[in-house]
Amino acid sequence: MQYPTPISKLIEGFMKLPGIGPKTASRLAFYVLDMKEDDVLDFAKSLVNAKRDLTYCSICHHITDTDPCIICEDKQRDQSVVCVVQDSKDVMAMEKMREYSGLYHVLHGAISPMDGIGPEDIKIPELIKRLQNDEIQEVIVATNPTIEGEATAMYISRLIKPTGIKVTRIAHGLPIGGDLEYADEVTLSKAIEGRREL
Amino acid sequence: MYIHSLFLKQFRNYRHIHLNVENKVNVILGENAQGKTNLMEAIYVLAFAKSHRTSKDKELIEWDQDFARIEAELSRKNSTQNLEVIVSSKGKKTKINGLEQRKLSEFVGACNVVMFAPEDLNLVKGGPRIRRRFIDMELGQISAVYLHDLTNYQRVLKQRNQLLKDIFPVPDQEQEIMLEVLSDQLAQAAAKVIQKRFSFIDMLQSWAERIHSQITQTKEELALTYLPAAEVSEDMNLSKIEEKIKEKLGEDRNSEIRRGMTLSGPHRDELSLLINQKDVQTYGSQGQQRTAALSLKLAEIELIHDNIGEYPILLLDDVLSELDHHRQSHLLNTIQGKVQTFVTTTSVDSIEHDTLKQASTFYAKAGHVSQMK
Repeated sequence: MQYPTPISKLIEGFMKLPGIGPKTASRLAFYVLDMKEDDVLDFAKSLVNAKRDLTYCSICHHITDTDPCIICEDKQRDQSVVCVVQDSKDVMAMEKMREYSGLYHVLHGAISPMDGIGPEDIKIPELIKRLQNDEIQEVIVATNPTIEGEATAMYISRLIKPTGIKVTRIAHGLPIGGDLEYADEVTLSKAIEGRREL
Repeated sequence: MYIHSLFLKQFRNYRHIHLNVENKVNVILGENAQGKTNLMEAIYVLAFAKSHRTSKDKELIEWDQDFARIEAELSRKNSTQNLEVIVSSKGKKTKINGLEQRKLSEFVGACNVVMFAPEDLNLVKGGPRIRRRFIDMELGQISAVYLHDLTNYQRVLKQRNQLLKDIFPVPDQEQEIMLEVLSDQLAQAAAKVIQKRFSFIDMLQSWAERIHSQITQTKEELALTYLPAAEVSEDMNLSKIEEKIKEKLGEDRNSEIRRGMTLSGPHRDELSLLINQKDVQTYGSQGQQRTAALSLKLAEIELIHDNIGEYPILLLDDVLSELDHHRQSHLLNTIQGKVQTFVTTTSVDSIEHDTLKQASTFYAKAGHVSQMK
């Protein structure tokens, strides 16, 4: 059967979101019909505002509503360390930790010749430029432990090494609080590779 | 390990079948094009989550249907497992005891299978690709870490080949650094693959030599050697191998840029087979080549047993008839009473052996399989 146009448009809208198929989309759409009008208006406004008011920080390229972003503006933070991540979501994850008080640099991707993404297509030139002006002494490369993430990390380290700035790579291996016996073979072998002396 | 029951739905020419099988030799009889090999393929897919005949999963689905399902009850030493593979146009799903496996590598290895099909007779006489595939499949079954290392290598290789194509004719400064990065990454991944292949060939050699000597009544000595392009050897450690590969990549740099691809590495390495110090591929007779292929396959069965403590399931697809009487009985003697085996053939009349007399026999005809008394 055919839905009335407003609702089928709404369903189509939901389906554009990741992880939402036709069934979930129609469930959400019918839920919206039962919501209070004020709530729906608020929801619609926040959707539009999120898109309209957010930009990328001109220093670290993290998403923000003020430029520079609050992290770059915060003079309490350690200005000598920069953590390089692939995505804005990674900044959120690092911030949740509350242990890291340095700055960030968001690359928005990783180098991948197969996808036609070279160093110039992500924010690597911006990173290098930033290192020239600032008082940065250490760069922590926290790209994902995938082939492309590793290649990006190695590339960055090659560019920075000659400048004398310290480059470090985050560790990978066993998750904390997990039992050894539940780890898969590949993770375990990585943990053995990255073992350290006590 | 052995399969109790096999259930197929919309798989190739089988709309819906359910077979109960025993832990011994199971013979599947039938005319050509009745679905004997499809049955073998189904068991193979349970072990490797892919077919040995095609790389297109869609072909596994019955014509005009939208999914295929293979399910089996597998008995292992201490447990019974329910394995399931579902192939649809959207992709593949694998389940162990009803739990979906997030990664294929977590599913592969739950069931171990060794297949011997007519095309395996090419293992010796065919191109190096066939032998590399043999190493990868068999080593992958017993080592999930190898499978991971190999996948990594192939991914870096693809990235590097694309870069080499982009670079032609001369690299700019950025591409120069990127090439160095990817060469290092490739060498790292290749070293792991090569080291594991070395030790696998070593283990395989010790069994294959013994078995080959038995089949030929000590007349022939079979030797296997893994031949990587870089000057590396077994006794080197990982970082030494890596260093040698980097050297090789350095030497080939210009020709690789010219050709737009990586010219050496595990994707091009060769496994050589010698009988009495002579290359079997070039100098061996048809018979010797067949015997060598048979020795390799039997060695593989023992190797899996060494590594996981259980015998794998053996699939003999149409090969019994390709072997002479002497090799047939050697093969059947080896598996007797310890390896669950599935044999397809058009007729058993020519094969005289106790093992076959005690076997369960099934008859395949036009998408139906029935047990014969």
